Amino acid sequence: MARLSGGLIDRTKTLSFSFDGRGYTGHPGDTLASALFANDVRLMGRSFKYHRPRGPVSAGSEEPNALVELRGGARQEPNTRATVAELYDGLVAKSQNRKGSLSFDWLAVNDLLAPFFAAGFYYKTFMWPKAFWERLYEPMIRKAAGLGSLTGLPDPDSYDKGFLHCDLLVIGGGAAGLAAALTAGRAGARVILADEDFRLGGRLLAESHSLNDAPATDWVAAAEAELDALPNVRILRRTTVWGAFDHGIYGALERVSDHLAVPRGVRQTLWRITAKRIVLAAGATERHIPFRNNDRPGIMLAGALRAYANRWAVCPADRVAVFTNNDDGHRTALDLMAKGVGIAAVIDSRPDVRAQGDYPLFAGAVVSDSRGRLGLNRIAVARDGRETWIECGALGVSGGWNPNVHLASHHRGRPVWSEVLHAFVPAPAGGPPGLTAAGAAAGEGSTAGALASGARVAAAALSDLGFAATLPDLPRAEDAAQTLTPLWHVPGEGRAWVDFQNDVTVKDIGLAYQENMRPVEHLKRWTTLGMATDQGKTANVTALAVMAELTGKAIPETGTTIFRPPYTAVPIAALGGGDSGEHFRPRRLTPTHEWAASRGAAFVEVGQWMRAQYFPRPGETEWRQTVDREVLATRRGVGICDVTTLGKVDVQGADAGAFLDRIYCNAMASLKVGMVRYGLMLREDGFAWDDGTCARLAEDHYVVTTTTAHAGTIYRHMEFCRQCLWPDLDVQLISTTDAWAQLSVAGPQARALLERVVDGVDLSNAAFPFMACADLTICGGIRARLFRISFSGELAYEIAVPARYGNALMARLVDLGADLGATPYGTEALGVLRIEKGHAAGNELNGQTTARMLGMGRMVSVKKDSIGAVLSRREGLEAETRVLVGLQPVDAGDPVVAGSHLFAAGAARNTWTDQGWITSACHSPHVGSAIGLGFLENGANRMGEVITAANPLQGQEIALRVVSPHFVDPEGGRLRA
Amino acid sequence: MSCRRISSILKEDASVPDLTPLTALGQTAPMVLTRGALTVTEHPALALASLALGRGAVAPCPFGVQLPEPGLWAAGQGIAAFWTGPNQWMIEAEGRAEEDFARDLTVHAPGCSVTEQTDGWVCYEITSSKGATPILNLLEKLVNIDVASFGPGRATRTGLEHMSVFVIRRAEDRLAILGMRSSAASLWHAIGTAAGRLEEVLE
Repeated sequence: MARLSGGLIDRTKTLSFSFDGRGYTGHPGDTLASALFANDVRLMGRSFKYHRPRGPVSAGSEEPNALVELRGGARQEPNTRATVAELYDGLVAKSQNRKGSLSFDWLAVNDLLAPFFAAGFYYKTFMWPKAFWERLYEPMIRKAAGLGSLTGLPDPDSYDKGFLHCDLLVIGGGAAGLAAALTAGRAGARVILADEDFRLGGRLLAESHSLNDAPATDWVAAAEAELDALPNVRILRRTTVWGAFDHGIYGALERVSDHLAVPRGVRQTLWRITAKRIVLAAGATERHIPFRNNDRPGIMLAGALRAYANRWAVCPADRVAVFTNNDDGHRTALDLMAKGVGIAAVIDSRPDVRAQGDYPLFAGAVVSDSRGRLGLNRIAVARDGRETWIECGALGVSGGWNPNVHLASHHRGRPVWSEVLHAFVPAPAGGPPGLTAAGAAAGEGSTAGALASGARVAAAALSDLGFAATLPDLPRAEDAAQTLTPLWHVPGEGRAWVDFQNDVTVKDIGLAYQENMRPVEHLKRWTTLGMATDQGKTANVTALAVMAELTGKAIPETGTTIFRPPYTAVPIAALGGGDSGEHFRPRRLTPTHEWAASRGAAFVEVGQWMRAQYFPRPGETEWRQTVDREVLATRRGVGICDVTTLGKVDVQGADAGAFLDRIYCNAMASLKVGMVRYGLMLREDGFAWDDGTCARLAEDHYVVTTTTAHAGTIYRHMEFCRQCLWPDLDVQLISTTDAWAQLSVAGPQARALLERVVDGVDLSNAAFPFMACADLTICGGIRARLFRISFSGELAYEIAVPARYGNALMARLVDLGADLGATPYGTEALGVLRIEKGHAAGNELNGQTTARMLGMGRMVSVKKDSIGAVLSRREGLEAETRVLVGLQPVDAGDPVVAGSHLFAAGAARNTWTDQGWITSACHSPHVGSAIGLGFLENGANRMGEVITAANPLQGQEIALRVVSPHFVDPEGGRLRA
Repeated sequence: MSCRRISSILKEDASVPDLTPLTALGQTAPMVLTRGALTVTEHPALALASLALGRGAVAPCPFGVQLPEPGLWAAGQGIAAFWTGPNQWMIEAEGRAEEDFARDLTVHAPGCSVTEQTDGWVCYEITSSKGATPILNLLEKLVNIDVASFGPGRATRTGLEHMSVFVIRRAEDRLAILGMRSSAASLWHAIGTAAGRLEEVLE
């Protein structure tokens, strides 16, 4: 039908849009739903399971039916509620969950098969034949399930996030919310007022009530102008507060550009609001009354019909009926009549009511059925056992109002039942701390009641915070008491829908009852009631009332399900915070990154670090060639590798040595100044945790290193020990991981190369022996630290310079060492070098291994106590015989596969005969075959034995010979050279 | 007793190092980015050293700067300090990044443990040409700090895009963000993106 008079739309402008490919027009101020109604479109979707034709039920975010795919291409957004989608010029929407057209959906055949699709059918069917599940049933169900579809294209828009803090957060900008914000804003408190709608006013925009004898919008406009002018008030329009979290933090989604054809800048912003006090003024949601075939397009909530007429000047039909159990339903009839809409009948289930205007009233009657394939055309009215059919194109249903208790019920707050309102209201305590409900959300739904309650609750919250707040002069407003006689459903034959979105009927609840799925949480999961995008906002209370009726329990005894965030759907893109791809998480770059990139290095992620993995040269066609070359060049000449990523912790203080003695299992206090020692840390339970080196720079000054992976956790552990376990020790700690670029210079020519950069330092074996360390300068005065330590088994050093010089030092060493064969190497070669030498790394220190297994059992000092030392000597660990061994294939062409389990040759392969596993494996250019390290039972006594490595995942069984883990220089002569 | 200080003379005062330093962003000169009213500048000349009180030590007043209370930053002549933990501060020295500032500080802080931190961090100085508002708007997008109580002279450690940072409000219209040097590029991206989005909103 044509537009009605009035409304809050801008008729001077026309917006074009399309739905299912057909063009329509609307006006600024319209939602997609209101604009479609204005174009005589009632059918907007298909139901989830039975593919029944559906139209909007509501005029707000509670909408279960009118879900569309909004926009096209990469911006396509499924399950968008037409009732809150703000109309813009060029809007494109498509209906969803259909095969064929919206008016002829092939999958509507499901509706005929409904007896087979009762609640929980999928728990009982698809049982046989078993093989069909993966091949047929599951793919079929997956295909049929879901509502809207995703394009699979990357989202082109940018999403933002941010943090806000305030004294008072007001959730909802209706009568109660505006009164609360005005009270708090005038008192000088920092206020955030958030409303999900694009226009402030809430229900005041949907009603015909006046305030101070003027249109309510006049008062709303004045309040909004005042709040806008207050510097201490921030209004977040188009912003849904969707969850209460710990510490007074609320999640809020601001739809910054959703109302624009092409988002300008940010599309949506996810705010985390920290509020000292919260006023929940989220209003109430009307409930419907299930009756047979109550789901046709045109059957709506009575308050929604009123909202469409008053705010958007539309009505889905020119002849409308109302079905109610309370006085509020009659308002719909009166408002529609005032707009010139014909009222076919008002059906009130209460026998002793009177008409409030000139319309046919059926008192003591119910609506018992409806007709109309793609939209309502008549209803059956039953009274005293007689049924009368009435022609109408729309039916407004009002079963009363449910306060929107959701946010008050996060944090496990449980709403309480009001016998007066016949509805759940927020409990005074037990929900999110500092949150109080006001207005319709608190059950004070009259306009005057909502205004007064908003002001009162805000004033109380402010007084708590020490603000002197005075109650504002509130406008005169209607204050009608609502009388209601509960009617939870109309009993009878056929299907009466309770949850429109999930196609759950009164019968389904009966079936759940029969099958003993009676607790509400079971009811929910058995029937899927209250799930999906609307989370049962229009269904839950009705459903549990029906269950209460079946069980004979009271409604409060039946209880509600747990309320969880989000209140309405939040896009994953917004939760993700906007960055994707390489910026999805922070990356850490080494000081030589620029140089490595310029040399064409391949990089590998190591935690957050990007490390050079290898440096390919022209002609090398696969990575193994490069790695083999880097390994051999290091063993023959000199290799250089950036090892900055190892954690470095500066330890100072008079008790630094004593402190390190307690956290390392071996002695550190006895370390001489100017020397370095390998250190092993145990966990409290006696297992090996982390290893590294400990350099003593002065009596009261050490620098320790950790593995790259444990840099953060070990530093945290050390701080915990210092601050909490032994605050009496004089120790100071700070991380210096990033401060120093550290390069490993390894190989027989390492000394010759370093002599070319250090400033007048004697690096001879006598002056600077294995495990020495020193402060010195290089390249004409650059501060540096030199450590003679080796991970590769070669003569090796690690040299540290302030990070800013790392890149230039790397370049300088490679240039200066050209004649010595200086070669940069990456993490792959680093791994090969250390496996060849038999050094443990992360693969061996995996949390399941002990010092004894690593061949370092004697390092756990018995002369002192240290973390983990006592438990490392417990019976179970003492009896452990698996130790680190080297493994080499009997047939040199065979691979060694890390993760394979080890068995005695010829033994059965099962858990009981399992003798260990391979931790690390690589191709060793030094040995000329694959090699590995692993833990093997009695390994030390089995040198030369041939065992079997089983890799059942790949069907491999390989004969390996047990050898020393030191494939290179087992005597250690090279590193002392 | 000092460890093997093999180099016989302190060459850094006398000779010119012949390696070219790079900034944390991998450049030879500081990066500058302007978005609307905000300008973000990398500040590689800022020297940093941590200072922690040893047992029984009296809090020193290095270079005349009174070490501030928790949550605060105090500035003197070319030297400033902010609180980083119980009995621990970071000392900033303008323009001294190429020197051994930590050693100099040690002399001025008897009984304290001093550790070189200059290249542990990247420092981004953010200035506003339109007063405090753009600074506050930027903070709101980056860190969970109540900007109303984060006026000039405040400093705190907090998380920013999963990175640990120090945020210092140097003045109404000036802010510094210090992050791990290794994640300088990610931090630069985060600040630049947020500043850019503010500009879009203002347009």
